Amino acid sequence: MKKAKIIRKRFLSSLFVELWLEENDIARLACPGQFVMVSTGSSYDPFLKRPLAVLSTFENQFGLLFEIVGRGTEILSQLDTGEQVEVLGPLGKGFSLNPSEAFLIGGGRGLVPLYFLAQVFSSKKIPFHFFFGIKNQPEKILIDYLSQLPISLVVSCQEEIAGFYCGTVLDAFVDWLHHSKSKPIKKIYACGPQGMLQALSQINEIVPNQVEISLESHMGCGYGVCLSCAVKKKGSPGYFHVCKDGPVFRLGEIEL
Amino acid sequence: MNLQVQLGNLTLKNPVILASGTAGYGREIAPYLDLDRVGALTLKGLSSSPWMGNPPPRIHETYAGIMNSIGLENKGFERFLREDLPFLETFQTRVIANIWGKSIEEYADIATKMNRLERIDAIEVNVSCPNIDQGGENFSSDGQVLCQLIGNLRQKIQKPLIVKLGPNTDDFDQVLGFMEKEGVDLLSITNTFPALAIDVENQSFIFSRKTAGLSGPAIKPLALKLVYDVIKKTRLPVIGMGGIMKAQDALEYLLIGARAVALGSVNLIDPSAALQIIDGIEDYMVQKNISDINDLIGKVR
Repeated sequence: MKKAKIIRKRFLSSLFVELWLEENDIARLACPGQFVMVSTGSSYDPFLKRPLAVLSTFENQFGLLFEIVGRGTEILSQLDTGEQVEVLGPLGKGFSLNPSEAFLIGGGRGLVPLYFLAQVFSSKKIPFHFFFGIKNQPEKILIDYLSQLPISLVVSCQEEIAGFYCGTVLDAFVDWLHHSKSKPIKKIYACGPQGMLQALSQINEIVPNQVEISLESHMGCGYGVCLSCAVKKKGSPGYFHVCKDGPVFRLGEIEL
Repeated sequence: MNLQVQLGNLTLKNPVILASGTAGYGREIAPYLDLDRVGALTLKGLSSSPWMGNPPPRIHETYAGIMNSIGLENKGFERFLREDLPFLETFQTRVIANIWGKSIEEYADIATKMNRLERIDAIEVNVSCPNIDQGGENFSSDGQVLCQLIGNLRQKIQKPLIVKLGPNTDDFDQVLGFMEKEGVDLLSITNTFPALAIDVENQSFIFSRKTAGLSGPAIKPLALKLVYDVIKKTRLPVIGMGGIMKAQDALEYLLIGARAVALGSVNLIDPSAALQIIDGIEDYMVQKNISDINDLIGKVR
């Protein structure tokens, strides 16, 4: 287990927090789609570490961006710069990094691993289109965050916001496909709520085994011993484990 | 300084064991701790055939603890042989196989297979799984069935035989008497505590099987009492477990007479915890000027 020092903390809004932590190994080794287990303190309450996707890395630091969804993330959001947290990672299997071209499709906090992926694709000069959707106005801060990257973006919101496509990110994606006369879809990378991933699997133009999705799950250990984070296999009995077999899976191999 | 403990015919270089289901088959936890430093590694429970386990959710966090309903998912004996046994051959540490079945025949089958493996130093029988409808619970909650199972397995197992019991074991006095008579070598006390959690928002049970096993520091005083009581009733050596997080906790179990301790939930939140606990026990011995750990065991009765 490693200790990581909080270097920078920023509330993007009352719900979303960006943390930068100093830990050389994670900064050096983490790949897009991988995650870390982060301790919320030493009081045994909450007892478990929290699995959080890596946002990016820079020199000897790695970034996290998380939504406050419960007590664990609430406590993490209250830590101050200079404090240390215990971390385990980088963990899990990340995205494949060598497509000839790609579509990135994200929803809500599913932005995090895709942000990292977009940075890597940009630096590798792999062409890609990024579609990103939010539910409502309070999440708009995520679009502003993503807009820092020098990439072309299609953004959508399910509530009406001036200048944005109104609908789900998949509505925007399908619309774009129908208008773009682009070649058949090659590779898709997606992360977002369960409903988004389910809807994605219903789109005719996609090839499920060419879609990589990153899943979120409650976890016990994060490193493959407790078998808590089970997700059903598609087409055969049994379960994968999000922490070890994933969190990135092919859309065609799991039951959503 | 001597940390070596003798548990019947099983010798451990120190009394700290990794409990079943919290260290995989060794490979998973090995990146985080040197397996050769722990007293023993207990493997994730195995059955003869693969078993897919329970549908999610499988885990639920409580105050200072976790409830689990994994449902004994495991890869089965054959895959264990192929994927994990060769890795275990590269270590010297004691390896305890944990086995279970859904019938006496299934238990007997996996017991026979494990008994043949040279690398396996002892066999722990899980008879108290609160998660499987037709499995463990029946065996430990019915003293007669439990005795029949253990009698049968003793015939099949020549290695040290450990029986892992839980708090819901039927008629401890009778069961312990029978374990002694049948020649069981060791007891592991305790498995998780059957527990319940409710989803208030949706007005439903959290787990599909309603109850789940509670572990972690939340159960430590209860588990310690259970271990204390069992030690009073039997001459069999006991491996104490339940909520051990630090050397201090392990020492409590040793002081009341547990001959070794096993770490479970702590491995989930810190996979190298065993090393700090071993070091902490040593520090304590130095501080108390105790050169042999056996002088510590059972000092508080």
